[in-house]
Amino acid sequence: MTTAAVRPPLERPRLAVLGGVCAGLAAHLLWPVRTVRILFGALVLLSGAGILLYVWLWALTPLERPVDAPAPVSRRVPVAAVLVTAAATAVFVELGAALSSREPVTVAAVAAAIVFSGGSVAWSLVFDAADPTRSIRYGVFVRTAATFLLLFAGLVGLLSRSTAASAVLSMLAIILAVAVLGAPRLVTLWTSLLAERAARVRQDQRAEIAAHLHDSVLQTLALIQTRAGSASEVARIARAQERELRDWLFADDVPSETDVAAELREIAAAIELDYSVRIDVVTTGVAVPTVSAALVGAAREAMLNAARHAGGDVAVYVESTAARIDVFIRDRGPGVDLATLPDDRLGIRESIVGRMTRAGGTATVRAGEGGGTEVHLGLERTDD
Amino acid sequence: MTSVLLVDDHSIFRSGLRSDLDAALEVLGEAATVDEAVALIEALRPEVVLLDVHLPGGSGGGGAEVIARSASLLGTVRFLALSVSDSAEDVVGVIRAGARGYITKGSSGAQVSAAVLAVADGDAVFSPRLAGFVLDAFGAVAGERAETSEELDRLSVREQEVMRLIARGFSYKEVAAELFISVKTVETHVSAVLRKLQLSSRHELTVWAQQRKLL
Repeated sequence: MTTAAVRPPLERPRLAVLGGVCAGLAAHLLWPVRTVRILFGALVLLSGAGILLYVWLWALTPLERPVDAPAPVSRRVPVAAVLVTAAATAVFVELGAALSSREPVTVAAVAAAIVFSGGSVAWSLVFDAADPTRSIRYGVFVRTAATFLLLFAGLVGLLSRSTAASAVLSMLAIILAVAVLGAPRLVTLWTSLLAERAARVRQDQRAEIAAHLHDSVLQTLALIQTRAGSASEVARIARAQERELRDWLFADDVPSETDVAAELREIAAAIELDYSVRIDVVTTGVAVPTVSAALVGAAREAMLNAARHAGGDVAVYVESTAARIDVFIRDRGPGVDLATLPDDRLGIRESIVGRMTRAGGTATVRAGEGGGTEVHLGLERTDD
Repeated sequence: MTSVLLVDDHSIFRSGLRSDLDAALEVLGEAATVDEAVALIEALRPEVVLLDVHLPGGSGGGGAEVIARSASLLGTVRFLALSVSDSAEDVVGVIRAGARGYITKGSSGAQVSAAVLAVADGDAVFSPRLAGFVLDAFGAVAGERAETSEELDRLSVREQEVMRLIARGFSYKEVAAELFISVKTVETHVSAVLRKLQLSSRHELTVWAQQRKLL
């Protein structure tokens, strides 16, 4: 066994302790995580170099790509709560400093309280809001606590015999407290506004493209079809192109679940590519999931027969209700007579009639009024 | 001779259609915008106007606007909507404005000519797709049916049968033979359905048209 280990790319895992920097770095360097953590801890002691390096790596290392669905990022350390605790400590220090009139300590403590409370609120709004392991209640608690701490820090700073610096900082703390109260609302408003604008721009662009193509390319394709005659190669290609373009232009963004009608339409499109035939599929009723492979298979065989032996225009009509599905395939060919059909024509006898009978449905083939053949497939729907 | 006015904003399409049309049709003129069309209809008084659903000009209403602005002539001038098989919303829009039928631009010259002649005779022209749409929108597939002939929001049993056969690709003649009735009667039924389509206030008509694309 060769041990030419391939280095995994430098990525931060989605389930992280704090930022996932250590775990990601360890995985990339093929070192134990503990070693990396100790190294960072040691670096922190070098006048905070570890923190700088950590933040730098955090900012520049990409998140691990999700395997299938976009997965949320979870962090194990409750950073917001830690920051609130730090803010509370700063407020206590401030209170003590204010009572003993140590002015520089008061200023520093107010500043610390502002930074820690603001940090906790920012963390709670930016990171915890997207983290499913953090409850909404936790976020509310963090923000409420931060608001109170800010207010308290501000009032203490103002009421103590304050210098200009501490008065300004205290006012700032009070203003921030008010802002924090309104912050969640503003953030949600802002993000939903951005999302909505992006969606609208996308939709507008799409509509514009659709309108343009509709006015130019589709018209040309329609013209080619009429001028080239429905049976010719050119018309066939033009029709296939038209169908493809139309599907793209008018299809909804959400993929529709496969139903019988959509499936038959697809089959018709495929047959049109191979034979000089125009198949018009008209569907009515409710969309039903593909209940029976036999029905679709028999309909396909009937359409193929029509394409092979009749060509020209073929009409397919699908009517589906909650109780049953009926499919009619009508062509304008020379027509067939089941009684005079040679036994070796397996198509109709086996693939259509036999198949439907085995599936518990009916299939009738008859000469249409005014020439051509009409195949009628019927199937009662049984819900299982 | 049946006189025809071609209204389509694509000159290539107009000239192509013009050369494909039956010899029994006389093309009086061509128009490319809503305003041009309205003026020409007023001046030329054609029997049938072949009208594209999407047209530039006017107040942006397209084919339906042309019909609405020529409403005083609806008794003498008949409109046949022509479209590159559009969304149901557009098609139902022109039909409700007063068009006597709807065909797709993919139809051959012979098919268009036959449709024009039918419309000139006062008949309604339904493509299989439009028939399918009507069946759905009037709840025929779900089993609703009109009890009296005055009812505008549902189809009678006979009208449903006729619409089903048209949706299955039958011509009027074939429908008549299938149902053992005269072609005249078939035409009467189709006209009745067209009237319902134009006059009905059925809620599903508009909702349905908005939601689904008539591909």
